[in-house]
Amino acid sequence: MNEAIHPLAKKTVVWYLAVTSLVLILMMIFGVIMLMNQGEMIRITPQWFYKIMTAHGTGMVGIAALGGTAILWYFLSKYVKLNPAILIVNFVLFLTGVSMVLIAIFVFDFSDGWTFLFPLPAQSAKMYGAAGAVFFLSGMLVLGIGFLILYMYLAARLTAVYGGLGKALGWDIIFRGKKGYGPPAAVVATAMVIITNSTALLAGATVLAASLVNIINPAVTMDPLLAKHLTYAFGHIFANCTIYMAVIAVYEVLPEYTKRPWKANKVFLIAWNCSTLFTLMIYTHHLLMDFAVPKWMLIIGQVFSYANGLPVMVVTAYGALMIVYRSRMQWDFASSLFFLSMFGWVAGAIPAIIDATIVVNHVMHNTKWVPGHFHTYMGMGVVAMIIGFMYYFNKTEGNQEHRGIDTFTIALYFAFFMGLVGSFLYAGGISAPRRWAEHLPQWVLSDQAGAVSGIFIVLAAIIFTARFFSGLRSVGSKVPYPKKSAAS
Amino acid sequence: MYQQIAMYATVFFVFLLALAFAFVYGESKRSGEYSTIQKKGYKIRKFYFLGLIAIMAFATVMTLGRLPYNSNQAEAEGLNDAKVVQVTGIQYAWEMSEETFKAGDKVQFDVTASDVTHGFGLYNENMELVAQTQAMPGYTNTVYYTFKEPGTYQILCLEYCSAGHHVMVKEIVVEPEGGASYE
Repeated sequence: MNEAIHPLAKKTVVWYLAVTSLVLILMMIFGVIMLMNQGEMIRITPQWFYKIMTAHGTGMVGIAALGGTAILWYFLSKYVKLNPAILIVNFVLFLTGVSMVLIAIFVFDFSDGWTFLFPLPAQSAKMYGAAGAVFFLSGMLVLGIGFLILYMYLAARLTAVYGGLGKALGWDIIFRGKKGYGPPAAVVATAMVIITNSTALLAGATVLAASLVNIINPAVTMDPLLAKHLTYAFGHIFANCTIYMAVIAVYEVLPEYTKRPWKANKVFLIAWNCSTLFTLMIYTHHLLMDFAVPKWMLIIGQVFSYANGLPVMVVTAYGALMIVYRSRMQWDFASSLFFLSMFGWVAGAIPAIIDATIVVNHVMHNTKWVPGHFHTYMGMGVVAMIIGFMYYFNKTEGNQEHRGIDTFTIALYFAFFMGLVGSFLYAGGISAPRRWAEHLPQWVLSDQAGAVSGIFIVLAAIIFTARFFSGLRSVGSKVPYPKKSAAS
Repeated sequence: MYQQIAMYATVFFVFLLALAFAFVYGESKRSGEYSTIQKKGYKIRKFYFLGLIAIMAFATVMTLGRLPYNSNQAEAEGLNDAKVVQVTGIQYAWEMSEETFKAGDKVQFDVTASDVTHGFGLYNENMELVAQTQAMPGYTNTVYYTFKEPGTYQILCLEYCSAGHHVMVKEIVVEPEGGASYE
């Protein structure tokens, strides 16, 4: 199959990337403000700290999903004819939901965090009024509906073209002995994301709706532990899936640069099927300190969190290393960031796996170790993939070229991101709690190191974004995909 | 102890990872036949995969016998004669049925919450997190801890519970064994 991306979808992808890059900078600035406050470099009220924290978490996961979706759509369009209207509908609902979330936070003082725990919104509604909680919960629902529509549509398209999600995941090769290779990596990854993220969104919608009903009529309640299961079945999977969408760019682009195939062989397909299953199962590692949860479920949280590291460590990252090894590949903005993003993904998985060990979690859960892990994974993994894709898009659809400043910016971004996540992990190691507006003196130095690193990361992100927007000027609408080989 | 292990293990494995990426980057400037590279690569991958499985299996075996919520283990350690303390989290305070302890006391904290979910985090005098559990309305989570050293311990809220989350701190005093007041 060799489809061409619809011109309207291409324009919409540009909008996705533009919003992603601009919101990314804003959310990074929010992150720096929080670190500066914890580091006693500036002073904001706790109320404002927690409002910014809520915006930062929601916004970062939101744009990671938005950028990941742009990547998924762009590359899947090579293999499956897609209707751009769905991409636009998702974008409109995304912006509507984001607007509602921002109104909730900055007009009505909602500050319960993006993974709020029931019945916190109802409790906050009593103190600060119901409008904030209602706007936030409804906004998140609107966002979720947009993504759910997108996944339902993609499921229908994969079913039409490949005969079902099972076949898109290569089940006929794994279980029925069919010879040859499975569908392209973009299709396999899309099938995985459809299954896991639809489940996540349904879990999220349930807890959002229940929380809304509880605010309107407090007599209708929900079991807090069940609600927490649903919250993390949503939050963990949704955040996790951002990288499974974004990694499609790595699978698609590195073979172009290295002029080597990266095909879905049996091991590859087994790995992605394992990722599908494990991603659905391992959210319970967020509940390891809820001793009321059945012990077997918590042990699953530990064991399968370990196992979930294997597909990326043994197949995806290893595959990236193998394809680059002795390839005489051209190193430019995109190839460098995609290569480094694989490092970021695995580097983020290491402290995550360690923290999923129950005895470790007992003394590290909800310390800054946790943001240490996911900032590695998100910042040096997902965001690196999205930024790499922005450059690749401009190069492939236009004529953007790699410059010396790009090498400098990549080095700046990664060096200081290592500093940022190092400060988080160190703070977690000395038991500094996460999500605290004010810190004790012994934790302040790590916050200051994180804040300074964050300032340079923001600078790098501004340069990345400026380069993206300047490169967009060369993007034409006349040349069908792919205009030219990225490696040429 | 676990914090140190986590930090050193992370530095060690990330360093190994960085070496692998640096090596491949260095080798990327040379050329090689991909089918040969794949053949060798898949062979190495088998050992790499088995190595990872072995590390994970070792960590599992070493840790699953020490689960903090294993009441059998608590009994094995002689905690069946523990002092039972009721703990309730409420925005933004900790209510406890008992607040003064002696070094050597084996304590069973029965932790719950009366409004929203909080996190019961027990810190020792060096502000090192030594035990925790969630404080959730409608549920009681039991966590055991033996106060081996006297001093001022603190309970910090470790689950975000709204704007006063960071002030939800309670000091508890553990006196030296024998009852002399702690200074």
